Amino acid sequence: MSPWLRQHRFAFAAAMSTVRKAPGSFLFNVLVVALALALPFAGITLLDNVRPMSEQLSVDPEVSLFFQPGATREQAQSVEPQLRQILQGSHARIVFVPREQALDDLKERSGLSAALDTLGENPLPDSYVMKLDGFSSAADAARIDSIVERMGALPMVDTVQVDSSWVKRLAALLGILRLALLLLALTLGVVVIAVVFNTIRLQVLTQREEIAVSKLLGATDNFIHRPFYYTGALLGLCAGAVALGAVTLALHPLNGAIAEFARLYASEFQLAPLAPLEVAGLLALSAGLGLMGALLSVQRHLARMR
Amino acid sequence: MIEFHSVSKQYSADATALSDVSLNIEKGELVYLAGPSGAGKSTLMKMIAAIERPSSGRVIVFGQDIGKLKKPGIPFLRRKLGLIFQHQRLLNDRNILANTMLPLLVAGAPKGGAEQRARAALDKVGLLERAKAHPLELSGGEQQRVAIARAIVNRPQIILADEPTANLDRVAADKVLDALRAFHSVGVTCLISTHDEQVLDGAARVIRLEHGQLVGGAL
Repeated sequence: MSPWLRQHRFAFAAAMSTVRKAPGSFLFNVLVVALALALPFAGITLLDNVRPMSEQLSVDPEVSLFFQPGATREQAQSVEPQLRQILQGSHARIVFVPREQALDDLKERSGLSAALDTLGENPLPDSYVMKLDGFSSAADAARIDSIVERMGALPMVDTVQVDSSWVKRLAALLGILRLALLLLALTLGVVVIAVVFNTIRLQVLTQREEIAVSKLLGATDNFIHRPFYYTGALLGLCAGAVALGAVTLALHPLNGAIAEFARLYASEFQLAPLAPLEVAGLLALSAGLGLMGALLSVQRHLARMR
Repeated sequence: MIEFHSVSKQYSADATALSDVSLNIEKGELVYLAGPSGAGKSTLMKMIAAIERPSSGRVIVFGQDIGKLKKPGIPFLRRKLGLIFQHQRLLNDRNILANTMLPLLVAGAPKGGAEQRARAALDKVGLLERAKAHPLELSGGEQQRVAIARAIVNRPQIILADEPTANLDRVAADKVLDALRAFHSVGVTCLISTHDEQVLDGAARVIRLEHGQLVGGAL
């Protein structure tokens, strides 16, 4: 074994020995750090589950134009050139949806075929569905409002509806949530560093004599610092594992409640635990935060001892 | 091997520990550093181990100027020294075998080899059978012998013993001194400080310090 590796093995063993000497204290610190980590980890899990759902939804506006019930097929189809004129300069796909097709679609999607058959006649009007591309800014939103207004003024038009606004609101909400989570994670990251900083400070004070003797016997700074770095990283790693375990365990009862709620919307949405790669990333981040706390503490307190 | 050239050490304006000290200790010498408490003996020893730096003058150890020695070089200088303190400074949370192994582990020696050498060192000071005992279970004299074992385990070229017999009865003190003389007999340079005149009986060379100044024995 190379001397470098041997020194690291010795430092790791020294860190483990410190843990073994005061397991209660170590466990308590792990729980405090885990509490701080659990909140952002839960947020990451939630966002990770919601993100694919929001990404599947189209953010490009979809404008639906419905004619009055009395409008004839000819009247409805005669409006198309005017629609093209209104949408001039925009990338738009205009699809005419005859009332018969609309009813067929409704029957197929809602599963209410039998109920709709009892109505006798088709209550749905002819309509146009227009998909617009490249509308994402506030200025584009103002253009859509103008388009909707002009379409609403066309003859025999009953309603013009923009279907994308709620999707945009959801996307904006997710953006805010993501930012809030980032700020929360940063704040709690500082908490983690502070807890580890204080833990290591106490260890440095406890082992003051051992540090002083080791220095007199020829220990380098690295030799003295390394066990504290390992302790900090170990503390962060264990806390990360506990926090991830707690979040994963919490998913089970949460999913029970979510399943009931999702069933109301004919959905089977469930919160899934994070992927192994994400788990590994968060564990590495936790260990990194612990290491950073230990680094800052060791640099500060051992410098004072000198 | 150890040279002091007009060395002075001042902790503050009115606290002078050493004043214009010049001396030379050759390889393989056994030198006693005598003087009353506060004479500057400990400061002189600390300078050899780079625990203190001179305020003026030059301290040369193994050809290196201690005043100019950079921080990363200090541990490597100390690994060539065996330090014995008046209050032993053993670590009470581990047994004496672990205490004796410490200088080797600090220097990056493998654990198995370190344990073997630590046992051999404890055997030399007559404490091998107590290897698993903790320092607080030993008498003062035994603790000082553990400190000697810890000092010699790294096979140092110089042993610096600062008042090693100060808190010991005559019998224990003699055992400690016998152990140190045994290492000197195999070529190790030894510098032993003491304020006990009885320790100096039969000494080949005694350097005397008073109020931080040399009053005899410098060559």
